[in-house]
Amino acid sequence: MKYNIYNQIKNEKSLSGKLNVVRYDKNLRKIILQIIFSSFLLYFLYYLITRSFNLDLGLSHLSSRAGFGISHQFLTDYTSNDSRWDAYFIGLVNTIRVSIVGIAFATILGILMGLARLSKNFLLNKISTAYVEIIRNTPLLVQLIFWQLALLQLPQISNALTFGELSVWSNRGILLPYVNSLQNGGLWVLCLITGLIISLVIRSYASKHKEENVNFVSPAIIALSVFILIAISTYVILGVELYADIPQLTQNQYGTYIQSGGFTLTPEFATVLFSLVLYTGTFITEIVRGSIQSLPKGQTEAAKALGLNNYQTTTLIILPQALRSIIPPLTNQYLNLTKNSSLSVAVAYPEVFMVSRTIMNNSGHALPMLALILSTFLALSLIISLFMNILNRQITRIGA
Amino acid sequence: MMNFRNKYILGVTLALSMFAIFACSTETEVEVIKEVEVEVIKEVMVDTPSTLSTVLERDLLKCGVNDNLTGFGVVNSDGEFAGFDIDFCKAVAAAILGDSSKVEYVPLTASARFEALAAEEIDLLIRNTTWTSSRDRDLGNDFTATTFYDGQGIMVKASSGYDSVESMTGATVCVLQGTTTELNLDDRFTGAGIPYTPLTFETNDPLQAAYEEGRCDGWTTDKSGLASKRAGFENPDDHVVLAETLSKEPLGPLTRDNDSEFYDVVQWVVFGMMQAEESGISSTNVADMAASPADPGMARLLGVGFDGGEPSDFSFGIPVDFMQKVISQVGNYGEVYDKHLTPLGLTRAGSLNALWTEGGLIYSPPFR
Repeated sequence: MKYNIYNQIKNEKSLSGKLNVVRYDKNLRKIILQIIFSSFLLYFLYYLITRSFNLDLGLSHLSSRAGFGISHQFLTDYTSNDSRWDAYFIGLVNTIRVSIVGIAFATILGILMGLARLSKNFLLNKISTAYVEIIRNTPLLVQLIFWQLALLQLPQISNALTFGELSVWSNRGILLPYVNSLQNGGLWVLCLITGLIISLVIRSYASKHKEENVNFVSPAIIALSVFILIAISTYVILGVELYADIPQLTQNQYGTYIQSGGFTLTPEFATVLFSLVLYTGTFITEIVRGSIQSLPKGQTEAAKALGLNNYQTTTLIILPQALRSIIPPLTNQYLNLTKNSSLSVAVAYPEVFMVSRTIMNNSGHALPMLALILSTFLALSLIISLFMNILNRQITRIGA
Repeated sequence: MMNFRNKYILGVTLALSMFAIFACSTETEVEVIKEVEVEVIKEVMVDTPSTLSTVLERDLLKCGVNDNLTGFGVVNSDGEFAGFDIDFCKAVAAAILGDSSKVEYVPLTASARFEALAAEEIDLLIRNTTWTSSRDRDLGNDFTATTFYDGQGIMVKASSGYDSVESMTGATVCVLQGTTTELNLDDRFTGAGIPYTPLTFETNDPLQAAYEEGRCDGWTTDKSGLASKRAGFENPDDHVVLAETLSKEPLGPLTRDNDSEFYDVVQWVVFGMMQAEESGISSTNVADMAASPADPGMARLLGVGFDGGEPSDFSFGIPVDFMQKVISQVGNYGEVYDKHLTPLGLTRAGSLNALWTEGGLIYSPPFR
């Protein structure tokens, strides 16, 4: 029908006829509008790019000497003689570290609190409600500063609590006993994780073939022995030699207290971790609660009718189904946590934003550094999204 | 289908050609604008009244200051600005306008101060600002003179027993993030191979809390700043500023670039206050000295004739007796120092801020 009118108008040779073509042809109209819009956009981009030609946008200054120390280091050996790239990398590691640990704890806290919010137990229910309403409704930056000041109230290092020489607690850090290795400890843990994955694959493979071969050894035993074999052989090859790392508090010849050994939780890291976990935990709590409540009540009732107890109902029936609607909003919270970690610049935790800003101040190259910070967080967010999308696909596939 | 594809090709071609037209046209526009800008700048350079005439016309001096550094610039309990830097604002106002109270104080943050001066929000910046080559070169301002020779120091708790940087082996030092202080600190410790941990804060308040609670062993910033913070503590005697100075930090007033009339006034008011102290002229005896100057040099400084003669004429475009007003209303350099900085524990004797006749660096070129 439309094309009849179209052809009719097209045949008219007058100017108004031609204009009518534009007026009545939906596709042509769309194209023209898009051309106008995109040319404005292109012009704007062109303007920005030409303006930036005047600036030194290179990152070459990052290879010069950093010249400043960094208080928190993890698995690295940075000194102020290293380059600014190295300093930036330390910041990045610190961001990733607090994000990963934070995501893990926030998830656990969120799931527990989410279940507690639906609990019929009066106390549990009220505690989780109070937790969500108080923490969710106050600004994160204020919470960070609160935790910082709270952790400074731990005893000063000269009066540190030692708990029978096993642990050191002061406002310089909380040192816990820890199992350490003489060498290649991190590598060995990687080997253990790889070994675990290999043995799990072997187990599932063996289970498949078990029914065909009646005299087969139990798949669990095969998997376990493979795992133990890998663990022991790599332990010997890498020369790991584990030992108990007990924290120590000593004084050097000038009277400075030095705390060493063990697993160190500095007040700055703890401040950032506590705040991010508690804050993000409230949102995860609500996501968990909402997802469980969105399940039909019949699921619980059916589970009860089958004789499952509360624990079984939750772990076998409710959570696996709720998980499908939990994952997508959970991804948002993981991204928020990672991005919010940049607030730790306020509490002396040297994450990537803080270190980059120090470099920015020292070098005066603000724009390229900001671009670097933005692309760093963009990359981190996209990686988290990627993992969560893969997880989401796995979970929606189960039982579909 | 074919029809639509053709349309899209047509569309893309159109967009590209429009973009090209835009690009060409803007280039010429930019050139034209640049030419216009150059002309405007030329006009401005010719026509802009100097800051000195602006101040005289306004009958008020706008002075950019610190409002939160005890001793240098702070709002006191009467709601008035007081401090070492503030007194130099007053001195300039007394010299130009004859009245040290004709000052409008504009409190500025460290990061906003240079832009405030360049944007003519203020006439004069006296906000414990360190004279460095890059600031003089890049920020469109001129440093007039050094009113206070500062240097970076480290404050520690008296009970810690630290007496030198060497004794702070393994210590944790709190420092503001992104400052030259942070770099000087590392230069000193790493340079001497002394292991230490820097704890970097974005702002002063959490840093102070961390220092007071013993999170760090030392706090490093300019010695004047440390003295000021130390004076604010409940028990100042519990804290010690180590004798060693880690860097040079000369502080002084700044004016805008290419503003030499006003620059000269500010510079010579500061020198005049130093010269007055050297010549023994203070706020208490300036009237007597002006009535009967002891020597021709003193007469030149105070703008009066010696022994009944005519006064020498060097006035900087302001009344020739400007130093009389400055000294009677504000005082000489030593008086200002003693009033504001001695109470902080910044001992003058033996420091760089002593008169050159006493081994310091406070030295005025001759008034001649």
